[in-house]
Amino acid sequence: MKTQRWFTPWLLLGPALVWLLVFNLWPAINTVVLAFTNAKPLGGGSFTGVANFERMLNDDQLVYALVNSIVYMLVCLPLLLFLPLLLAVLLEKKLPGITFFRTAFYTPVIASAVVVALIWTWLLEDRGLVNGLAQQLGFLTEPLPFLSGRWLLLFSAISLTVWKGLGYYMIIYLSALGNVSRQLHEAAAVDGAGPIRRFWSVTVPGVRTTMLLVSVLVTVSALRVFTELFVLTNGTGGPGGRTMSLVMLIQMYSRGFTGHLGYASALSLLLFVITVGPMLLLLRLNRKAA
Amino acid sequence: MRTRLAGLALSSAVLTAVAGCGLSDADTSDDQVDITGEIKGTVTLQTWALKPKFTDYMQGVIDGFEEKYPGTTVKWLDQPGDGYPEKVLSQAASNELPDVTNLPPEFALPLAEQGLLLDVDQADDKLREEYVAGAVASYEYAGQTGVYGYPWYLNTDVNYWNTELLSQYGLDETKLPTTIEELVAQARIVKEESDGKVHLLSRMPSVEDLTQAGVDILSPDGKEFVFNTPEAVAVLDTYRDAFAEGLLPRNVLTDAYLGNMELFKKQQVAWTTGGGNSINTIKVDNPSLAEKIIASPAIGTPPLYTQGLSVAKGSDNLSTAVALARWVTSAENQAAFAEVVPGIFPSTVASAQDPQFSESDGTNAGDAKKIAFTSLAEAEALKPVIVDQAMTDFINQQFSLAISGEITSQEALDKAVEKCNELLNN
Repeated sequence: MKTQRWFTPWLLLGPALVWLLVFNLWPAINTVVLAFTNAKPLGGGSFTGVANFERMLNDDQLVYALVNSIVYMLVCLPLLLFLPLLLAVLLEKKLPGITFFRTAFYTPVIASAVVVALIWTWLLEDRGLVNGLAQQLGFLTEPLPFLSGRWLLLFSAISLTVWKGLGYYMIIYLSALGNVSRQLHEAAAVDGAGPIRRFWSVTVPGVRTTMLLVSVLVTVSALRVFTELFVLTNGTGGPGGRTMSLVMLIQMYSRGFTGHLGYASALSLLLFVITVGPMLLLLRLNRKAA
Repeated sequence: MRTRLAGLALSSAVLTAVAGCGLSDADTSDDQVDITGEIKGTVTLQTWALKPKFTDYMQGVIDGFEEKYPGTTVKWLDQPGDGYPEKVLSQAASNELPDVTNLPPEFALPLAEQGLLLDVDQADDKLREEYVAGAVASYEYAGQTGVYGYPWYLNTDVNYWNTELLSQYGLDETKLPTTIEELVAQARIVKEESDGKVHLLSRMPSVEDLTQAGVDILSPDGKEFVFNTPEAVAVLDTYRDAFAEGLLPRNVLTDAYLGNMELFKKQQVAWTTGGGNSINTIKVDNPSLAEKIIASPAIGTPPLYTQGLSVAKGSDNLSTAVALARWVTSAENQAAFAEVVPGIFPSTVASAQDPQFSESDGTNAGDAKKIAFTSLAEAEALKPVIVDQAMTDFINQQFSLAISGEITSQEALDKAVEKCNELLNN
């Protein structure tokens, strides 16, 4: 008996398609349209051509936000590409109690980003644990401005991202390491390769596809960083707003009853372009390497 | 073919988006409204985070209204504290604004600009007679004719001092500073005596400080920001010099508004500002500190914080909606509300002599309440409502750069004025 109809696949796809259209495609198109207007949350606006994009050229804050987002990405990428891999290699060993360490390293991932960032704020403030300990032990005479110096603030946020991301990417690598042939390792060992040599010549090529995936994930999330910087700077973007990320800048212009949706949408388009760029580059590099 | 179809679909979507994003002029027509109809039928009242703490009070007010006007039914919607602006925005955008809505002046402004709110001045002859002038003025906007809300409850800031820290670090609680200059001078003593461990001053200047110093934020016609004056430079320079001297904690550069209150609760600073009920709030977090606090009037012009009820112009039952807004904001209902919520004050003229507010019970919290209530007579909205969130953020960022010494005060003010004008005229 034939029970399948031509529309069966569409029925099954329907909910997902509707979701995609309403919550992904429609907002994306609307963002493109709004970028060419001076729209506000109420009352729309009028078309302003490329005025919002011209405004970007004279926006000092945008320069700072772009530099911060790019530095964030450039520092996070290597750290979150290799540290979780090294951690996964260590935790892959079948030792007694290893499950405890795997769980411990994963715990920051399931903790709320806001809560974690608040804890870090308490640790890093002038009278916080880090400065207090360093002064007690005689390493510092004055507290370091972790939360009020532009670059220290940025690197504090990067440390938080790396600490929180370690466990997540470690789990991805752990599953990938399971597919790396043990025989290759053994053969390399027989040929006299030490642990470091085996890591570079066997492990890394074995998880290269996963490394690409991790690179893309890290790049995108680093360029779109928000929570860490927002919480560590109490939403102010640091002294003079010079530690804002691009997403924070978008948020600054878009929120509220009189949000400047046109300019915020133009900034969103810029973020989209600079996020897609590195992703395409990474994919191209991988294809070449393959 | 597939490409053409995709192109067609995309073009349609873009066109629909253009139509949908509301790129048309708003209805700001100034039609006469008739509110003389019979008071009956169903109206919706929207409040902001009053449940469950004040459910009994509000339900009592609503029951009283339905009793006074038989044949009326009030549907009460209470929205959670978080996401209220977004909720009101979505209601306004979909033309589903409740008949009566709790809107502070800055929320009411964009709705009034879109012609969504009733001009209650036009609709109600007794408005200016029954409500205090400053509160009514909060709902009047430059470039708009009318008043777009009934003032509900008011608040202001007073100074709070930690007497233990004051005496410990060489200050006299009977000679509290009354000007910024005196405050800075006393902050210097605290810093020196405590070896920098405790501060007196712990907040950044803001737009409100400029207003207090007599600086005009906007031009008289409200169309241009003009606060980059020598007087404003002097205000920033005072803070800049104080910061350079170490009279403010370094983290003040990135602190959010309540930063000084938090430091005060931790007893890291000896002065903060807060509403008339702050001692009771502090008592919850730090009971031993609450006993050591004394209050004094705000330095300069006290700020006025207003909450109000606006009536939707598109309401199907305007007469009843206006009657409900008047009922909720009446002197007796406001006085009862202020009893339930210590620290807020009625906006009605009739409440001015109410001993519940004008007399202290002798406690430090009672003194603070009395000072706050007395201050309301001269309190003003110090930040024009047209200064939106993006402008405020930018101004604070520029002030932060000036205070830290990265740019001059004049440069910071010039940049802030330029950006605010750009955002205003966009």
